[in-house]
Amino acid sequence: MPERIIEFRDALREAMSEEMRADPRVFLMGEEVAQYNGAYKVSRGMLEEFGPRRVIDTPISESGFAGLGIGAAMMGLRPIVEFMSWSFSLVAADPILNNAPKMLYMSGGQFGCPIVFRGNDGAGGQLGSTHSWCVESLYANIPGLKMAIPFTPYDAKGLLKTAIRDDDPVFFLESERLLSTKGDVPEEEYSIPFGKAVVRKAGADCTIVGFGRPMYFVLEAATELAKEGIDCEVIDGRTIRPLDIETIVVSVEKTNYLVVVDQSWPFASLGAEIAAQVHQRCFDHLDNHVVRVHSDDVPAPYAYNLEQEMLPNARKVAEAVRVATYNA
Amino acid sequence: MPIDITMPRLSDTMERGTIIKWNVAEGDEVSAGDVIADVETDKATMEMQVYEDGIVAKLLVDEGTTSEVGTVIAVLAEAGEEPAEIAAGAGARHGAKAKSPPPAPADERHRKDSGRDDGAAAAAKAGESAPPAPATTHAETGAPAPDHNGKLKVSPVARLLAEEHGIDLRSVEGSGPGGRIIKRDILKAVETGQETVSAVPPSAIARAEPAQAERRSAAMPVVAAAAGPTLQEQIVPVSNMRQTIARRLVESKATVPHYQVTYTFDMDPLLEMRRQLNEQLASHDVKLSVNDFLVKCCAVAMYDHPYFNASWQGDSILIHGAINIGMAISIPPERGGGLVVGVIRHADQKSLRAISAESRYLAEKARTRGLSLEEMSDSTFTLSNLGMFGVEHFTAIINPPNSAILAVGAAIEKPVVRDGQLAVGREMSATLSSDHRVIDGAMAAQYLASLRKYIEQPAALLV
Repeated sequence: MPERIIEFRDALREAMSEEMRADPRVFLMGEEVAQYNGAYKVSRGMLEEFGPRRVIDTPISESGFAGLGIGAAMMGLRPIVEFMSWSFSLVAADPILNNAPKMLYMSGGQFGCPIVFRGNDGAGGQLGSTHSWCVESLYANIPGLKMAIPFTPYDAKGLLKTAIRDDDPVFFLESERLLSTKGDVPEEEYSIPFGKAVVRKAGADCTIVGFGRPMYFVLEAATELAKEGIDCEVIDGRTIRPLDIETIVVSVEKTNYLVVVDQSWPFASLGAEIAAQVHQRCFDHLDNHVVRVHSDDVPAPYAYNLEQEMLPNARKVAEAVRVATYNA
Repeated sequence: MPIDITMPRLSDTMERGTIIKWNVAEGDEVSAGDVIADVETDKATMEMQVYEDGIVAKLLVDEGTTSEVGTVIAVLAEAGEEPAEIAAGAGARHGAKAKSPPPAPADERHRKDSGRDDGAAAAAKAGESAPPAPATTHAETGAPAPDHNGKLKVSPVARLLAEEHGIDLRSVEGSGPGGRIIKRDILKAVETGQETVSAVPPSAIARAEPAQAERRSAAMPVVAAAAGPTLQEQIVPVSNMRQTIARRLVESKATVPHYQVTYTFDMDPLLEMRRQLNEQLASHDVKLSVNDFLVKCCAVAMYDHPYFNASWQGDSILIHGAINIGMAISIPPERGGGLVVGVIRHADQKSLRAISAESRYLAEKARTRGLSLEEMSDSTFTLSNLGMFGVEHFTAIINPPNSAILAVGAAIEKPVVRDGQLAVGREMSATLSSDHRVIDGAMAAQYLASLRKYIEQPAALLV
C-alpha cells in the first residue's frame, strides 16, 4: 500500500467529512469554522461541501453554543463542537461538565449525549497563562465522558471517527503544535477503538507512558537514552477515558520501572492516577516508585524560555528515566 | 561540640561490628583510653576504647545490634556541654547518618592489592585473605543497609526476584537510595552465584520434605516414634565468626586448586624423646605436646622448601621472610563455637619450650578471652591437628593466603615392619593440602620427606 502523507489537520477534517457524508445527523459548529475555514484551517472546504446548515459559525459564546450542541445531541443529532482552544471551554464549564457527561445518568437513560467537543489543548507557544490550558486532568476527573488525545495524524483520524460514532460525550484534545505534523494516513476506511494504547517503541529497561503532544518529547528522550544503554518501552495511551491500564501494566511487569509523562499540573493529575493504578496493579513488579513528569506547578509563563522549562520536555523525561532506573 | 563515637574498624577485614556489651551508661563520665564497649568483629570479641574525655550523652545502638564501620553508635558531651541537650539532638542527627554508606570496601581492597609489595606482612595477616577472585564479590562488600529500625529496604520486585532465586536479602548490598536493595543488586547476586551459597529457600525445603517422607515410607517400614531423645528443627543465627569462616573457606575451597598428599611417619623416636624431655623437665613445668614438635618441624623444614611459606599473588609468588606457624584452635560451644588460628611467630627460631608455652597460652586465651588480632595475624603456614580426638587421617582446607596446611592425625600403635621384622610401633599419618599454583606434587612429597627427617630423627630440633 503506498504511503499517503497528510497533515494532522487534514486527518481531522477527513474524519469529520467522512462521518458527515455517512451520517446526516453529524454537523460541525464553532467559532470561525465555516467562512474562515477554521481558525487553524482544520475545517477548510467543509462549508462548501456541506453548506451552512451543517458547518455553522457561532458567536464568541462558548457557553451558548456548547449548550446548544448538548441540546441537539439529546434530541438525536451528532454535533461536533469545536473550541478554538480548550482554554475557552472553561466558560462553558456548566454545559460541558454539569450537563453533557451526566445526562444519561440523570435522565435515567432517557437522553444520551452523543457529542464531540474538540479543539487545541495545551500550550500553543507564548499564549500566556489563560490560553495555555491542559485540561486533561481537570476534565478526566468527571465520570460519564470519554477523552481521546491523539499524537499522530493516523490516530487523529481513527480516533475522531470513533468519537463521532460514540454515544457518549467525547472530549477530543488536539494540539496546535501538532496540527502541521505529517504522517501516513491510508485512503481506506478505518477507525481506532478507544481504550487501546499503542507501543510506539518496544524496550526492556523502563516503560514511559505519555499522551498527545508530549509523546514527541518522550520519543526524543528514548532515542537519547538508548545511546546511554537505557532501552525504553514507549507507550502512547491515546485515550485517557477509557484508560488502557492493561498495556501499561504488562509493560511494567516486564521492565519494572515506569515514568509517566503528562502535561497537566502534577497535583491530582492523570499522572498521579496512572501511578496509583500501577502501584495497585503491579506493586510487586516495581523496582522503584513511579516517576512522573508534568508541567511545573505554576501558571504557564509567557516568556519563551520559562514556558519551555515549565512544560515537559525531552531533558526532563530523560532525567526522570534515569532517576526511575537508578541511573541518576 | 558533641563528640561522635563511631563503630571502629578493629581489623582490616572488619566491615561491621556488634556491640556485645556497653561498659558505660548514659551520664557516665569517661576518659580517653577507657574501654566503653565489647565489640564482636568478624574475628573476635574486642575491647573498644574511647579516645576523648567527656560524658556519655547518648548510646545510639542497643547491645546485640550490628552496625557498619563508621556508623555513629554513641555521642559524648564535652566539658561544659549539657548531655541531655546533646542526647535530644543526637537521635535526630544520626538517624540519617547511621545510614550513610561505609567507606567503599572495594576501594580498600584495591588499595591493599596494589600496595602489596611494601605490605607483605600486612597482606598476609591470618585473618585477611589475598583475594585471587575478582576484586569485589557481593559477600565481601556485603553491607545490607538496614534503616535505623533494622529493617531492610527492598524494592518489591527485588524481593520477588530474591525469593525466586533463593537469595538471602541480608547478604545483598543495596545500591538504591538509602541502601534500598533493588533489582540489579539481586541480578548481580544471582550472577555471582550467591544463590548457591544460601541455596534453597526455606519454602523449598518445606516443600521437599513431604516428598522425601513419602519416598521413605514407600521404600521401608515406618519407624515407630522414638522414645529417646529427638532433634528439633531450628534455625540458628550465625555469629560474625561463623560468617567469616564460611566466607573465607568457601573462597579458599572454590578458588585455590587444592590437592592432598599423605605421608605416614614413624613416631617412636619423637615420642621417646618427648617422654624423656617431659620427664626431665617436669619440675620446670615443661610439658611438650606432639604438636609442639610438629610446629618446630614444619618451621625448620621451610628453609629447604620456601614455597611452603609463600602466598600466591596472581602474577607472582610472595615468599615470606618470617616463618609464622598458625595452629587451628577450636572454640568450645559455650564460647560460641567456631575456630580461630593462633599464630606462633618465628617458630623456626624458637625453642620447643618456648613454642610449647606460647601454644598453650594461645589455646587457653582463645578459649577463654579470645585472641587479639595480633595473635591471629600473619600466619604463613597452618597446622590442624585432630590427633587428640583419635582421628587417624583427614584433610584440611588451606587458610588463605597460606599455600599449604598440614592435617595431622593421631600417633597410633600399629603392627609395623622394622628391619624385616614385624613389630608394634607408633605411626602418625599427616596430609598436606597444597595450592597447586604455588606447589607441585613432587615438591609436596619432598617437603613431607624433610618433615620425616625431623620427625624420625628429632635430635636436630633441639639445636
